[in-house]
Amino acid sequence: MTPPADTSDPTPFDPIAGVLALILPGAGHLIQRKYKRAACIALGILGLYFGGLLIGGISVVDRQSPRSETRISFIAQALVGPIAFATNAIHQSQFKTTVNRTDDRGRPLPPVIAPPGKNRMDLSLGKVNEIGVLYTVIAGMLNFIVFLDALLPTHRREDEEKDAEPVRTTGALDAVLKKGAS
Amino acid sequence: MIHLLAYRPLIDPLDLHHVWFLLLLPLALLVSIAYKAVRVDDMKHFWPATLWMTAQVIVGMVALGFAFYVVIEWLVPIIAPTPM
Repeated sequence: MTPPADTSDPTPFDPIAGVLALILPGAGHLIQRKYKRAACIALGILGLYFGGLLIGGISVVDRQSPRSETRISFIAQALVGPIAFATNAIHQSQFKTTVNRTDDRGRPLPPVIAPPGKNRMDLSLGKVNEIGVLYTVIAGMLNFIVFLDALLPTHRREDEEKDAEPVRTTGALDAVLKKGAS
Repeated sequence: MIHLLAYRPLIDPLDLHHVWFLLLLPLALLVSIAYKAVRVDDMKHFWPATLWMTAQVIVGMVALGFAFYVVIEWLVPIIAPTPM
C-alpha cells in the first residue's frame, strides 16, 4: 500500500527577500511587492534607530565602548544592518572620545580620554543614553522578526485576495482560452 | 542658548533628562508600527491594531511602574524594615 501523497503546500522560502531585509529594513517585503507593509516596516525600524541616535547621540552605537553593556548592545543593533556598522565606523573614526589600551600581554587597561580634536562630541549619560540605546536595540530585534517574515513569508488574507483577482487579459486571449477549455 | 546653537542632530544627545519618561510614548508607537506591519493579517486593520497595541504598551508600562512603586515603597519596608 502506497502512502497518501502530501497535498499540503510546502513552507515558502525566500532567501533573497531575507538577505534584503537584513541589508535595509523593509526591502525584503518591497521585493515581495508588499509595498504598504514595507513602508510601515521601514518607518517603524528606521524611526526607532534614528530616533535613538537623535535622543542619545552617536555614542549609543559603540562596538568598542569601555562599557560592557554598550558593547553587548551592539549585537542587537547590528541586526538593523549595514546602517549600524556604518554608524559605528563613523563613531570610531570621527567622534571617539576615549581610547582603549592594552598592556604588553594584550590585557585591557582602563580607557583614556582621547586628545581634543575638531569633531569631539558630547557623550550621552544617564537616562538619555539608556533610552537611546533602548531605541536602537529594539530596532535591531524587530528587524530580526522582519527578516524571518521575509525569509519565510506567511500567506495572508490580502495574498488570497490577490490570488482570487481575475487575470486581466485581452479579448483575443480570452477567446483562445475559452476555445481550449471547451 | 549657545549650547543649543552648537547642537548637531544624531551626533550630540538631546538634553531631555527631565522628561525622559515621555520618550517611551514614541517608542511604544514605533514598536507597534513595525510589529503590526508584520503581524496584521489585513493591512486595512493596520492603524487600529497599531493604536490599540500602543495603548496597551503604555498602560502596561504605567501599571508596571505603579506595581514596582508599591513593592519598593510600601511592601519592602514592611517585609524587611531598616534596622534602627
